[in-house]
Amino acid sequence: MSKFMAWIDERLPVSNFVKNHLSQYYAPKNFNFFYYFGALAIFIFILQIVTGIFLTINYKPDAASAFASVEYIMRDVEWGWLIRYLHSTGASFFFVVIYLHMFRAMLYGSYKNPRELLWLFGMLIFVLLMAEAFMGYLLPWGQMSYWGAQVIISLFGAIPYVGESLALWIRGDFVISDATLNRFFAFHVIALPLLLFALIYLHLAALHTNGSNNPDGIEIKKNKDTNGVPLDGIPFHPYYTVKDIFGLSVFLLIFTFVVFFMPELGGYFLEKDNFVPADPLKTPEHIVPVWYFTPFYAILRAIPDKVGGVLAMGAAIFVLFILPWIDRCSVKSIRYRGMSYKVLLMLFVISFFGLGYIGMNPATPVLTWIGRLFTFIYFGFFVALYFTSANEKTKEPPERVTMHD
Amino acid sequence: MIRIFIGMLLIFTSTVTFAATGSIPLKPVLIDLNNKASLQRGAQIYVNNCLGCHTLKYQRYVKFIDHLSLSKETIENNLIFTTGKNGEPTKIGSLMLNAVNPDSAKEAFGVMPPDLTLIARSRGTEWLYTFLTSFYKDDTRPLGVNNALYPNVGMPHVLSWMEGLKKPVNLEKDQYQYIIKGTMTDKEYQKSMTDLVNFLAYVSEPAQLDRYRIGFWVILFLAIFSFLAFLLKIEYWKDVK
Repeated sequence: MSKFMAWIDERLPVSNFVKNHLSQYYAPKNFNFFYYFGALAIFIFILQIVTGIFLTINYKPDAASAFASVEYIMRDVEWGWLIRYLHSTGASFFFVVIYLHMFRAMLYGSYKNPRELLWLFGMLIFVLLMAEAFMGYLLPWGQMSYWGAQVIISLFGAIPYVGESLALWIRGDFVISDATLNRFFAFHVIALPLLLFALIYLHLAALHTNGSNNPDGIEIKKNKDTNGVPLDGIPFHPYYTVKDIFGLSVFLLIFTFVVFFMPELGGYFLEKDNFVPADPLKTPEHIVPVWYFTPFYAILRAIPDKVGGVLAMGAAIFVLFILPWIDRCSVKSIRYRGMSYKVLLMLFVISFFGLGYIGMNPATPVLTWIGRLFTFIYFGFFVALYFTSANEKTKEPPERVTMHD
Repeated sequence: MIRIFIGMLLIFTSTVTFAATGSIPLKPVLIDLNNKASLQRGAQIYVNNCLGCHTLKYQRYVKFIDHLSLSKETIENNLIFTTGKNGEPTKIGSLMLNAVNPDSAKEAFGVMPPDLTLIARSRGTEWLYTFLTSFYKDDTRPLGVNNALYPNVGMPHVLSWMEGLKKPVNLEKDQYQYIIKGTMTDKEYQKSMTDLVNFLAYVSEPAQLDRYRIGFWVILFLAIFSFLAFLLKIEYWKDVK
């Protein structure tokens, strides 16, 4: 075996790679609950790719037969229902995991120097993931697929001068049609997954350049032993591989519970109207995007003007990109940051959930006004953070990481 | 922080409620896909009364062998009434279609009777049960009946031979008086409609028969696996101080 590995290593440094990125890659020993979600996101990405491949074997990207082909998968393909539910539930859980992953970065300042590029790659992944999910949702060709896409693409029409032609160019038709379905299929199964794959690679490469941040927000590479090993670091393998196996199995427990016992999750993961084939002549009563888009959808609706709404929605996502430069506090972790950041972050989380709730419901005057309040808080978080973070009353972070078990 | 976060999650999930659809409150219906006799009766009612207009175009007859515990002969002799182009009986592996001509259907009812394979998923079982028990006599309508849940529906009361025909005493309070008797009592009709809705719930997602059963074992396996993974993690992490 060692001879074989030597032969390989001479030609491709596999052993070195394993050493550098697993067995001698040192991660902080104080990771907590929030540090499971990166590994889980990679797991779901692979799950989506694998189940997606099996789905494409029987799915037909054709407006006349798409809906029936999904039902064919659900009924006549052996284990097709399981593959499909893994994929549909996986999509929703992808966002659960990614939102928690991003929230972790906000808790512990993981986007701060020297990890700004890591954050930017992550944000690009997030935006691509939204595009991926949006296009994937059109494929079952149900009523919500159709009208959801109709609404979202018509938003591009709000852009001055080029809007209408841009929307036309995206759809390939004057309405959502077979042409749209075909191109969305192409983007969903090959273009975006390839881009995602490349970005995840860059995200990991950037991560492994400086190593992970941790709940104390201090750099473990500042304290090394004589061999150059961080004193607060432990080899990723085996410590975090066994820990992530445990995390993954608990995640799967929850995930498979949804897959087997409540795949529609009361209409949040699979909307009721999507069991009706797309009908261009019949608009559903309420067109509601899937839950993971609703916070941004609520921001869109909060602004009375269409162009303004689209701009606000875009800004809500864009502002996250520049978070590393908005947050000017030198202390990373919320554990040692001032009360102002704790309060602001709490308000931000409340507004995000609030917007998510409002985006799921029909726009009543009361909800619209609450939505405006939450939109104000959402953007207010970034503005207030910019002004308070520079002179925040922080505590002194410890020299070495602390363990809380 | 984690505690606050989870607390907030709970608050938000508990306040989420569904908007009610339709004009009258939905009636509860007991769905039990393990009750094969009920599914069989439901299938019988469906092919005798509904299939003539409403296809089940994603469902195959042959599935009833496994799912409804019916024999091939029973299905061929009692559930398949359609024929192919040359008059030969429809094969058991076929989808459950009918011979409705869309143009004449539109002329008669104003719409093409919709396919009902997924109706239990898009409308919900309670909606279906309430719909089926809410027809009443209304001479202002072209077909002489109306529906309290779905006002001005284009569908005639096909099952009036079973239920009879009732006129409303108080529509909102769901109070009626029968003016024509059917072959069934009120209770019997409700039971039959439960069977029919139960059947439609099955047809909307036959995978339900498998997924609950398999899901139990998957969860059990993962629970044990998680426990072992936890012990392994503890063992490895003993020396991390």
